Amino acid sequence: MAKYRAWLGVILALTIAAVVIITQIPTRLGLDLRGGSQLTLQVQPTKAIPTITEREMEAVQNVVEGRVNGLGVSEAVVQQVGSNQLLVQLPGVSDPQQAERVLGGTAQLEFRAQRVGTEQQLQIENQVLQGHLGELVALQASLPPETPVTAETQARIDKLQADITASEAAVAALFEPSTLGGDQLTDAIARPSSGTQWVVGIKFNNEGGNKFTEISKAIAGTGRSIGIFLDNRLLSAPTVNVEYAETGITGGGAEISGNFTAQSARDLEIQLRGGALPLPVEVVENRTVGPSLGRDSIQRSLYAGIAGLILVLIFMAVYYRLPGVLADISLVIYALLTWAAFNLLGVTLTLPGIAGFILSIGMAVDANVLIFERTREELQADKTLYRSVESGFFRAFSSILDGNVTTLISCLALFYFGAGLVKGFALTLGLGIIISMFTALTCTRTFMFLAISLPQFRKPSLFCPGLKTVRP
Amino acid sequence: MKLNIIQQRGLWWAISGAAILASLVAMAISWQQFGVPLKPGLDFAGGTRLQLTRACVVSNSCTDKVDLAEVRQVLGQQGLDSSSLQILGDDQQVLSIRTRDLSVDERTALQTALDETVGPFDANSTQIDTVGPVIGQQLLVSGLLALLVSFAGIVIYLSLRFKLDYAMFAILALAHDVIITAGVFAVLGLVLGVEVDSLFIVSLLTIVGFSVNDTVVIYDRVRENLKLNPGSHINDIVDSAVNQTLARSINTSLTTVLPLVAIVVFGGQTLKYFALALIVGFLAGAYSSIFIASSMLALWRERSGQAYDTSVPATDPSSPPETFS
Repeated sequence: MAKYRAWLGVILALTIAAVVIITQIPTRLGLDLRGGSQLTLQVQPTKAIPTITEREMEAVQNVVEGRVNGLGVSEAVVQQVGSNQLLVQLPGVSDPQQAERVLGGTAQLEFRAQRVGTEQQLQIENQVLQGHLGELVALQASLPPETPVTAETQARIDKLQADITASEAAVAALFEPSTLGGDQLTDAIARPSSGTQWVVGIKFNNEGGNKFTEISKAIAGTGRSIGIFLDNRLLSAPTVNVEYAETGITGGGAEISGNFTAQSARDLEIQLRGGALPLPVEVVENRTVGPSLGRDSIQRSLYAGIAGLILVLIFMAVYYRLPGVLADISLVIYALLTWAAFNLLGVTLTLPGIAGFILSIGMAVDANVLIFERTREELQADKTLYRSVESGFFRAFSSILDGNVTTLISCLALFYFGAGLVKGFALTLGLGIIISMFTALTCTRTFMFLAISLPQFRKPSLFCPGLKTVRP
Repeated sequence: MKLNIIQQRGLWWAISGAAILASLVAMAISWQQFGVPLKPGLDFAGGTRLQLTRACVVSNSCTDKVDLAEVRQVLGQQGLDSSSLQILGDDQQVLSIRTRDLSVDERTALQTALDETVGPFDANSTQIDTVGPVIGQQLLVSGLLALLVSFAGIVIYLSLRFKLDYAMFAILALAHDVIITAGVFAVLGLVLGVEVDSLFIVSLLTIVGFSVNDTVVIYDRVRENLKLNPGSHINDIVDSAVNQTLARSINTSLTTVLPLVAIVVFGGQTLKYFALALIVGFLAGAYSSIFIASSMLALWRERSGQAYDTSVPATDPSSPPETFS
């Protein structure tokens, strides 16, 4: 019995830990529950670039991330799926029109000469822009994660975003229209120069090289700069030294130096490469759920889950009596542990995910049903109570294992091949099955043996209806 | 209650055969009508679905239903005559439109036009699904692949844990369940216009997992009985194995179906048909495990001259600890 008391301690500790985790770590809700847009972007190959490699995807992802940042959505996620697709998640966006317009399309990289007499203005505008950007970053950092943004905060974000867009336009207006585009840039590479200094080397094709020579010749030594714009946002505005005033920068390439760290040089490199890619990006999938609809789904699923659980609990207690009640306790512990596991592992709960969870409750019961049916059989065969319970657990184990492994195989297949919502379902069901093995085999077992060690629980009617006597 | 599995196998098989035949016929009719055995939803066919909810707080236009004629007129102006329309919601204020794959600009134009004629709509309750043809293909292929791989995985696992013939009949029972579930949805598609989406493939896979679980429990008992009574005829072994596990089979199906019924009753639109597919599949699964997988195994063993198990019982983890008590 000491063994079971120890187990009881472990189970208690786990349950308390689970409750603490559930209250401390918030549950991550999928976009279908909290509202938001999920877009799948497909990068289209072109004649010039018939196959899309990892290097190109990285560059395109960077361009898309830049555009997403411009949308002012907090906690937006951009990730690569498959070989040529990007998944963009925009929580809280209920009207994705703007997002779709901004995210699709080909990147626009431009080299533009600064207008005469705008040196001071550029400095001022840039300061204003940096101020707005800093404010936005600070605001977004102050938001609690995984919670829907309030209307008030969203209004502030929108206002800042509008200011930023206006500032960016003001900055862009200080530069001449472009004559040199990203399509003429052939490469960009970050490399260390002297000491800890990094530079970014760029290379043009023939035509681009000539144009760059011209622009640099006009700018050299004036204190004005050549603005490099990606999607009309200023990336960098290097000046050209006076020594090039006669000839311009020749040789079809140049080097941008400044206060680059390895990281910032690499960032600029990827931005330039992304901008140089004439790869169109197309929105091939859009799943948008308004926040109110999401709330509605949560509520309905919650009702369904609780109603289902209660029905099952009642059935077990009525049909299996004392063991059923003990199994019910295990079942509640099971639900708590699984929920805590979702929070702890950062599982994003989606609507099908909740269905998987509810379904796994049924599965968790199955193990108990197998055990109790076996126990009854043994009791009816006139075995002792202790033997019957022991044998119930022992003999049912192989069925429980086989049944759960085969269901896990299906879950694995779903998780591996499935996408998005399907993955969520497979994950919650699979996790639930593993945890249910523990609760059915350990929790129920511990409760059962502790119960039958008490004489007042050794009544035959508590275990099996119609049984006259039971041998202790 | 005692079931005569082997004696009445003609009856059990006739019931299953009729159900499968009906399913195949439904799918064939569906094939004629839609060109596919099941009516494909947005996920597979591609297209755009807009679900708009009237903003009742702002306007007092909520007293009447959404006027479908007006909506059709708007759709006609946008060149989207062939779109399908549905009114949803408890008070009939939700409009669901399914069109071909719309670009952002087309969709915006449609939304604006609808907002002006039958709106205003609540932006927070809007649902938009656009699936391009590429994604549709991708979802279908990955779903079917998952189904095939899990079939293969189950055959391998069962062959290792049991014997190959057990595995083959378990898979046969699975095919039975999958076909009947698909058949029910083919009928629903023909009668009510119910479409299948990626969640339907998920439900098929879950059915596979749960139904094989049912079959395994019975086979496990067959294997155990074979070991305990080496001299018995396979028919008797199977009969008693099924009857010994019958209470479990029924109770487990019940406890799994109960939460699903709760989803059908309380769950949102998305999960309703998903839960329904699972209920159909689980019931078919329980039936096939009890009546089909067992009796087929017995027949096969009898016909292949293995009516009496002559093999030396292997050591098995499930042998009871109290055999000598």
